[in-house]
Amino acid sequence: MRPENYEARKHPPSNEFELNFGPNHPGIEGNYAFKVKLNGDEVLEAKADAGYLHRGFEKLMEGRLWIQNIALVPRICVPDPVPMEVCYSLAIEEIAGLEVPERAQWIRVMQLEMSRLAAHLFAFGGHAATCGMYTTMFWGVADRDLILDRFEELTGGRVYSIYNIPGGVRRDVPTGFLERLGSLLDYLESRLPDYDNLFFTNQIFIRRARDVGVMSQEQALKWGVTGPNLRATGLAFDVRRDDPYLVYDQIDFDIPTEPGGDCLSRNLVRRSELLQSIRILRQVIERLPSIKGPIRCPIPNPLAWNVPVGESYPRVESSKGELAYYVVSNGGDKPYRVHVRGPSSMHAVQVLEKLAVGSRLEDIAQIMFSLDACPPEVDR
Amino acid sequence: MTQELNVWLDKILGDIENVKIERKRSNRLRVDVDARALPAVLELLQGRASYVHLSAISCVDRIDDDEFELVYHVWSYEARSLVSAHTRIPRDPGVYLSIYDLYVPAAFFERDIHEMFGVYFEGSPDMGKFILTEWDGPPPMRKDFDSEKFVNETFNREQYHPQWLKDLEKEGGGITTPAEDARK
Repeated sequence: MRPENYEARKHPPSNEFELNFGPNHPGIEGNYAFKVKLNGDEVLEAKADAGYLHRGFEKLMEGRLWIQNIALVPRICVPDPVPMEVCYSLAIEEIAGLEVPERAQWIRVMQLEMSRLAAHLFAFGGHAATCGMYTTMFWGVADRDLILDRFEELTGGRVYSIYNIPGGVRRDVPTGFLERLGSLLDYLESRLPDYDNLFFTNQIFIRRARDVGVMSQEQALKWGVTGPNLRATGLAFDVRRDDPYLVYDQIDFDIPTEPGGDCLSRNLVRRSELLQSIRILRQVIERLPSIKGPIRCPIPNPLAWNVPVGESYPRVESSKGELAYYVVSNGGDKPYRVHVRGPSSMHAVQVLEKLAVGSRLEDIAQIMFSLDACPPEVDR
Repeated sequence: MTQELNVWLDKILGDIENVKIERKRSNRLRVDVDARALPAVLELLQGRASYVHLSAISCVDRIDDDEFELVYHVWSYEARSLVSAHTRIPRDPGVYLSIYDLYVPAAFFERDIHEMFGVYFEGSPDMGKFILTEWDGPPPMRKDFDSEKFVNETFNREQYHPQWLKDLEKEGGGITTPAEDARK
C-alpha cells in the first residue's frame, strides 16, 4: 500500500453510545421514537423515527365519500380533534361555495376553544409529568374530563365528536348547555391559582424548564415553528387574528407572548392562552342566544354529492399551531387528494431534532412535551 | 401596508415569464409557474416580499396528464397573505429541485413526498425512509397504486383464518361470518 493511500481505520469514539428513546416510553407522546447519540448524558445527535402510528389517512380519504371522511379526520390528532373536522369542512365549503350560517360559525368557535382548553390542560399536565410532578397531570386530566363531559352533551362523543359537517354543525346546542358551560368556565378559572401554586410558580418546574430547549425567534421562523411555540419566542402571531376564519374577527382576545423561547416560556404561553380561551368562550355564551337562524346550510344528498372541481387551502389555529388541509376535488364524489399539514410535522421532527442536540438525556421528554408535539400528525 | 405589498408583488411576479396569477381572496394568491422558474419565484417571494414561512408542500398525482403537481404554500407574516405556487413536473422520471436552501421546513415535506409519491428532490438533505420504514412496494400515494388489490395479492387470507379458528367456529365460537361475506 502506498503511504498516500493509507487511511486510518475509523472506529466510533468510545465515549459515544446510541440509545433508542421510544417508541414505548413514558417520556414520548404517543408512539414515536428517537435514536439519540450520547456522550454521558449529553445529547450529541438525535434522529426522529416516525411511522408507528401511520394509518394512511390521506390514501383512505381518497377512497371514501366527502361526508364519510368527517369520521376519519379527527383521528389524526387525538388530544385536539375538533380543528381537524373544522378545517376539513372549511375546505369543502370553500370549494363548493357553501355559505355557513352565522350561528353554526359561533358554535364552531365554541367547540374549537373548548378543544383548545382540553388540549392545553393535557399538554402542560404531560409536561409536569416529565418533571416528576404527576399531581399536575392527574389534575389536568381530571379537569379535561369535565370539558369532555360538555362535549358529550353537545355532540354525543367525548373525544371524537364528528359534529362539524360541511355547511354547518349537526345539532343545535341543547337547552341549558351554555349555563353549564359557563359554570365550568368559572370552575376552570378558579382552578388556575391552584395550578400556579402547584406547577407554574413551582421552583421544581421553573428550575428544570428555564433555559432548556431554547430557540430564538429567528430560528423559530426559519424552522417553520408555529402556534404557542412561536409565540413563546416573542412573536405575536395567531392565525385566528392574522388570517381570520369563522367569526374570530368579531371576537375580542389577546395574543399572549413570552420572550424566552425555552420550555418555561412555552408553558407560560399555554397558561395565558387558557385565560384567553375562557374569555372567548364567555363572549360566545353571551352572543350565541341572540344569534338566531339555521345551524347548517342545505347541502346536496351527501351520499351522492359531487363537489365541483377546485382546490382550497384553509388554515386553522389548533392548540399546537398552524393546521392546514390542502383539498383537491376533480368533480367526483370523493376527494381527489387531501394533504394534511399538521403543526407537529415540523415540531416533532426537525425542531425537536435540533433542540435536543446539546441538551441532556432527561430533558428530551421535557422538550417534546413543551413543543406539544403530536406524533399522529407526523405519521397521518 | 398589506395592499401596497400585494400590488408590488403582482408587479415583480409579472416580470417573470409564463406566470399566471389568480387572486382567489384578498389574502390568497394562486400562482401557476413553469417548473424551471419556480425556485426563482420562491426566492423572489422569500427574499424580496417577506414570504418567509413555508406552510407546506403538497403533491397531487395528475395521472391523466402524466404529471405531478407540486404546490408550495408560502405565508408572509408582514403582508398577511398566502401564496400557493403551483407547478407541474413529468411523472417520469419524477425528479425535481429541492428548495431546502431557501426554506428549512422543505426537508420534511420533500422527504414525505419522496416516500409517498416517489418524486426525487435533488439537493434535499435526507431522502431516506421515514414513515414507511419497512415498506418495499411502490410509492403508495400514487393514483395507480390500488391498496385493496395490493392487500389481496400480498397477504394470504388463510393466515388470518387458520385451521384452529375454523375448528373453533365449527363448535360455534370464533368469528362466525367468513371474511369475504362480511366485507359485502
